[in-house]
Amino acid sequence: MERLSLNDSPAGGQQQQQRNRQFPQQNDLGPSAPGQPGQQQQTSGPPQLPPQMFTTAAQLLDLTDKKLVLVLRDGRKLIGVLRSWDQFANLVLQETIERIYAGNLYADVPRGIFLVRGENVLLLGEVDLDREDDVPSSVTKASFEEVFELKKKEDSQRKSGDKKRHTHLSALGFEPEHSGEILF
Amino acid sequence: MLFFSFFKTLTNQTVTIELKNDIRIRGILKSVDQYLNIKLDEVEVLDLDKYPHLSSVKNMFIRGSVVRYVMLPRSEVDVGLLEDATRREAANQAGKAR
Amino acid sequence: MSFFGFDTTLPRDRDRDPGPSRGVFENSDPFADIARATANADEDDDAIDFEDTYDGLGDQLDNDQDAFNDDTFGGGETKAVGRDFDFFGRTAQVSDAIGEEQVRYSLQHPQLAQAAPPAQAPGIPPQTATAQAAPPSNKRSGYEKYSDPGFIPDLQAKSSVWGTSQRKPEPVPAQASNRKMMSLEEVEAQMRRLAPQAGPMPALHSLPQPVSEPPYAHPPPQQLPDGFPPMPPELMAQLEKGVLPPHMQPPPPGVSELCGPGHPPPGVPLHLLQNANLPPPNMPPSGPQRQSGPPQGPPQGQRQQQMPPMARGPGNNGMPVVTNPQQLMHMTEDQRNAYLVEDAKRAKRNHKIFLLSKGNGLMTPQDKNFITRIQLQQLVAAAGNVTDSDLESVLTEDFYYQVYSQIRGAPRQHPHQPLGHFAQTYLLQTGARFGHGRRALQSADNHMQRMQQQVQRAVEAAKAKPKNKQLIIEGSLGKISFSNAKAPKAILNIKRPDSSEGAKPARKIQSDLSLSDRKSILTNLEAVYSALMSMEDMERTMPPPPEENDPEAIQEHMEWRQKVHTLNQKLWRSLKVMEPIVPNSTTPHPFIALLSCPKGKKAIPRIFRHIDQEQRVTILTMIVVHLDSLDVVRLAQSTPGEAQPSLAVREAIELFSLAVMPSLLGYVNEAPFNIIIGLLGLVIAQTHVQSVARTKVGLGILTMLLSRAEIVKEAGQAAERDWQQWVEKFNVLFDTLEPVLIEIFPGSINSGDDMYVWQFLAAVGIGASPEQQQRLVIAVKDRVMETVAYSKTLPADMSSQRLGNVNLFMRAIGLDVELLG
Repeated sequence: MERLSLNDSPAGGQQQQQRNRQFPQQNDLGPSAPGQPGQQQQTSGPPQLPPQMFTTAAQLLDLTDKKLVLVLRDGRKLIGVLRSWDQFANLVLQETIERIYAGNLYADVPRGIFLVRGENVLLLGEVDLDREDDVPSSVTKASFEEVFELKKKEDSQRKSGDKKRHTHLSALGFEPEHSGEILF
Repeated sequence: MLFFSFFKTLTNQTVTIELKNDIRIRGILKSVDQYLNIKLDEVEVLDLDKYPHLSSVKNMFIRGSVVRYVMLPRSEVDVGLLEDATRREAANQAGKAR
Repeated sequence: MSFFGFDTTLPRDRDRDPGPSRGVFENSDPFADIARATANADEDDDAIDFEDTYDGLGDQLDNDQDAFNDDTFGGGETKAVGRDFDFFGRTAQVSDAIGEEQVRYSLQHPQLAQAAPPAQAPGIPPQTATAQAAPPSNKRSGYEKYSDPGFIPDLQAKSSVWGTSQRKPEPVPAQASNRKMMSLEEVEAQMRRLAPQAGPMPALHSLPQPVSEPPYAHPPPQQLPDGFPPMPPELMAQLEKGVLPPHMQPPPPGVSELCGPGHPPPGVPLHLLQNANLPPPNMPPSGPQRQSGPPQGPPQGQRQQQMPPMARGPGNNGMPVVTNPQQLMHMTEDQRNAYLVEDAKRAKRNHKIFLLSKGNGLMTPQDKNFITRIQLQQLVAAAGNVTDSDLESVLTEDFYYQVYSQIRGAPRQHPHQPLGHFAQTYLLQTGARFGHGRRALQSADNHMQRMQQQVQRAVEAAKAKPKNKQLIIEGSLGKISFSNAKAPKAILNIKRPDSSEGAKPARKIQSDLSLSDRKSILTNLEAVYSALMSMEDMERTMPPPPEENDPEAIQEHMEWRQKVHTLNQKLWRSLKVMEPIVPNSTTPHPFIALLSCPKGKKAIPRIFRHIDQEQRVTILTMIVVHLDSLDVVRLAQSTPGEAQPSLAVREAIELFSLAVMPSLLGYVNEAPFNIIIGLLGLVIAQTHVQSVARTKVGLGILTMLLSRAEIVKEAGQAAERDWQQWVEKFNVLFDTLEPVLIEIFPGSINSGDDMYVWQFLAAVGIGASPEQQQRLVIAVKDRVMETVAYSKTLPADMSSQRLGNVNLFMRAIGLDVELLG
C-alpha cells in the first residue's frame, strides 16, 4: 500500500488522497447496508518506514569505518575496521587482528587486511570503544603458542562430541541443523 | 517474503535471538533485510561469560542464515492478520508453482 | 643500449655522464630540479631546431578550441612542464571533474541522473596505479595541487611503485639538464625527505580516496575527512530529487539518519538537528546510542559526528557539559572527579576514533548508495514495485507489514482519520473499534418481507426432518496448497514403519464421514477465509460508479457485481449455514462447529460485512436455534464444585462476546419486531432455556431480544397483534425461568462479574407486568440485599460499580437501592 514518509508533508498527504480515490470501496451488496462501515474513503494509514531501511546496505552503513568484532562460521573471531562491504555482506576489514580464545586464555594474532565472503559471516558487532579495553575477568591474555595448543585440543574434543550427538539425533529422525556443519 | 514482511513490523522491539551455535542475544531490532539478516541495537549477550569476545559489543549485524530462533513480544504480533498473511502467501506460492 | 644498436642518448644528455648513483646529497635541494628545468629547457642545441623544419601549416589551424593546449602540452610557461606528462594525474583530474560534474548535473536533472552511472567517472585507471604516496586528490580543488611545486615527489614515488625508476618519469629529462638522473634510491630518499611527516601510510592508502585528506599532516579532529558520514548532503539531495527510484523518496528522517548520520533532511528545522538528542519529529524513539548527528558544516558538528558518544553517550549520564574552567571550579569534588574521569575517557576515545579515521571513506557514499539501490531493485523485483502503481503485488508480497503498519503504526496525525481498507477489516476482527455508529439507514419494506421469509425458511429448516442424514464432504472446498517454491527443509525426518496399521484407519473412516470432525471444520474455515479475502480484494477493485451514458463502464460494473455475487455465494456455501439440521444428532451442526473455533468466531464480523440482511438473519437464527450446543453455552454450564468454567472456556466466552455478539447485536438492533418474536419463540421451543440462561452468552442473547422488543414498543412501532404474540412468549419465558432465577448468577457474590445478569434482569423487569415484577423481586431479593451489603465492604469505586449494576435492575422495576436504606 502507500508508502509514507515519516515526515509526511501536506503535499504528500494530498497525493495520498488522490491515489486513494482510485480504490473506492463502497461495499455495495445491494440491500446489505447495515453493519457496513460508514466511512468509505480509504485513507493513508500511519507512516511506514522507508523501504531502504530494510536492506543489508542500511544495516552495514553505520558500521562502516567502525571497529568491529567479526565472528566467522568456523568460529574465528576477527577484530578490525570495516572499510567496505556489499549487498551480500562480503566485507573488507582493515588492521585486523585475530583473537583466539581457548579455556580462559586468549591471544591476539595480527592479520592485516581481510576480505570475507559474506556466507562465512556469523555476526558482526560494533565494538564499544569505551569498553573494549575492559577484558572480562574470566579470560587472561597468554602467548599465542599456549593458546593455540589448548585450542587445538578443545576443538578436537568438541568435534568428537558433536559427532556423537549428531549420530544420536539422526537416529531419532532429526536432520542435523545447518546441514551437519558445525557452527562455533 | 512473508517472514521479511513480518519481521519488518518488529522494528524497534526488543527481541531475543538464538543462533545456531547457541548464543543468545537480546537487543532492539533495528532492521531486517530480505535475507533476514538482523541488525540489533543495545545488545546484551546472555551467558556473556561463555562468549568473552562479545563483551564490548554494542550493536550487532547477525546473518540470517545462522539464526535459530527469534523470540518476540507476543503483544506485537497480530495473529489474525498474520494468519491472513499466511493464507495469502500460500495462495501466492500455489499460484507461482502452477 | 637499444634494440637496433643506435645510440639512443638524447643529444642533451650526451655530454653528461649519467654515471653511477651519486647518493642523496647531491640532490639536497628538492626544488633544484624545477629551477633547472625552467632555466635550461631551451639549451639543447644539438637537437633539430623546430623552426627550421616547420612548414607553417599549423598557423592555419583554427585554435578556437585549444584553450587547454598549454595545459596539455606545456606551452607558455615551461615551469609547469614537470607535470605535463603525468598522464595519470591528468586523467584522475579529468575524471574527478567529470564525476563532480555528474553529481552536479544529477542534482539539477534528477530524472536523467537516475539512469546515469554513479558519479565515479569512467576512465579511472586501475586503482593500483594510484601510487603509494599519491595523495587522494581533492574533488573540489583537484587543480590546486598541481600548481604546488612540492607535489613533484609524489610522482617520483609513483614510478618507484612500479619498480622501474631507473628511468625517470618523462618530464624529468628536461629538468635534469645539468644534473644526473636520480637512482631509485635517490628518488626514494628524496621522497622520504619530503613527506616524512605523514609517516609511511598504511597499505590502504594505495587505494584511491575520494575524500580530501591533507596528506602531510595529521588532520586535527575538527578537520577529519568529510567522508566519515556515509552520505554527503549532495547525495541526500540526490535521494530527494529522485535520483533514486521514485519509491525511495522522500527520505524521511529515519533514512537520512541511516544513510548519513548528521545530514539533516531538508525541511527539518536546523535548530532541531543541532540538538543531537532531539529526534526529528515523528521519529520512532531512538536508542541512546543512536548517532543522530548535527548538521554537517560547522567544525563543532563535524567533531560530534566523529565522536558520537561524546557529550551524549551513555557514559555521560547527566554530566554537565563543561565549556570553561570556571564551571569546573564550581563543581563538587565528586562531580569534578566524575567529570575528569569522563574527560579522560573521552580523550581516549577520541584518540581511538582518530586512529581509526585515517582510512575513512574508502567506501564512498556513491558506493553505498549504489549497493542500496541494487538491493532496492532486488526487492522491487521480488515484491513488486513498492510504489502505489503496483498495489496488488505489494499486497501479495508485503501484506502483513503493509496492513500492520496501518493498524498499529505510529499514531495518526488526525485521530479521526479513518483507517485504510485493511485496517478496518482487521480492527473489526478484533472488535476493538467495532460498532460505533456506523449503521446505514435503509428502506424497510423490502427487507421486512425478505427477513420474514428468511425466518420462516430457517424455522422450517430447523423443524423439518432431514431427508439425507449426512453429507460427505466433497472436494468443493478448494485446494489448499502447502507447497512452497522454496520448500523449507524438513527438520524432522521420521520414517514410519509400513506396518503401522492399527486402530488408526478405522477411526479415520469414521471421522471422514462426519461433517463436524475437527479437520473438516478447519478445512471449512479455511474455505470461509479464502472466500472472505477474495471478497475483500474485490472491494478494493470496485470500478468507479458508472456514468449513465458509458456502456463500457456499466458493463464493467455489472461484471464486478456478478463476481461479488459469485463470491458471496461461495462464502455462504462454505459457511455451511444451510446444511440441514439433524435433530438429536451427537455432532453439532457444521456451522455451529465453525463457531466453536476461535478462528470461526473471529470471522463473524468480517462475514457480516459481506453478507446481506437475509443471510444475517439466517446466521442469527442458526445461532439461536443451537444456543445450547454452542460451545460457549454448552461448556459454560457451571458444574457443582466449580466456581467458574475453565480458563479456555472463559477465553472462548470472552472472544464470543467481543467478536460475535456485536455483529448479532448490530443486526438485532435494526431487526423488525416479528423477527424478534420469532427468535424468542425459537429459544423457548428449541433450547433448554433454563440451562441457556445460566450462561453469559445465553443471557446476552436473551437480553438482546428482550431489550429490542422494549425499544420497538417504546417507539410505538409494535402492532397490537404482534405485541400480544410477544407477551405470550414472554410469559412462557418468565414462567420457565422464575424457578432458576437465583441460579443464573455466576458463583458467589464476591466473584465480581455479574453485570450481565443484572442487565438481563433489568430487561425482564421492564417488560414484566406488575405482578411479574413482584415475583421477580421476590426471586432475586436475597441477591440484591447481599450485593448491597457486600458493596459496603468494597472500596468506593468498586462499590459504586456494583451498586450501579444492581440499580440498573432496580430502576427497571421502579425502585432504587437508595430505598433499601
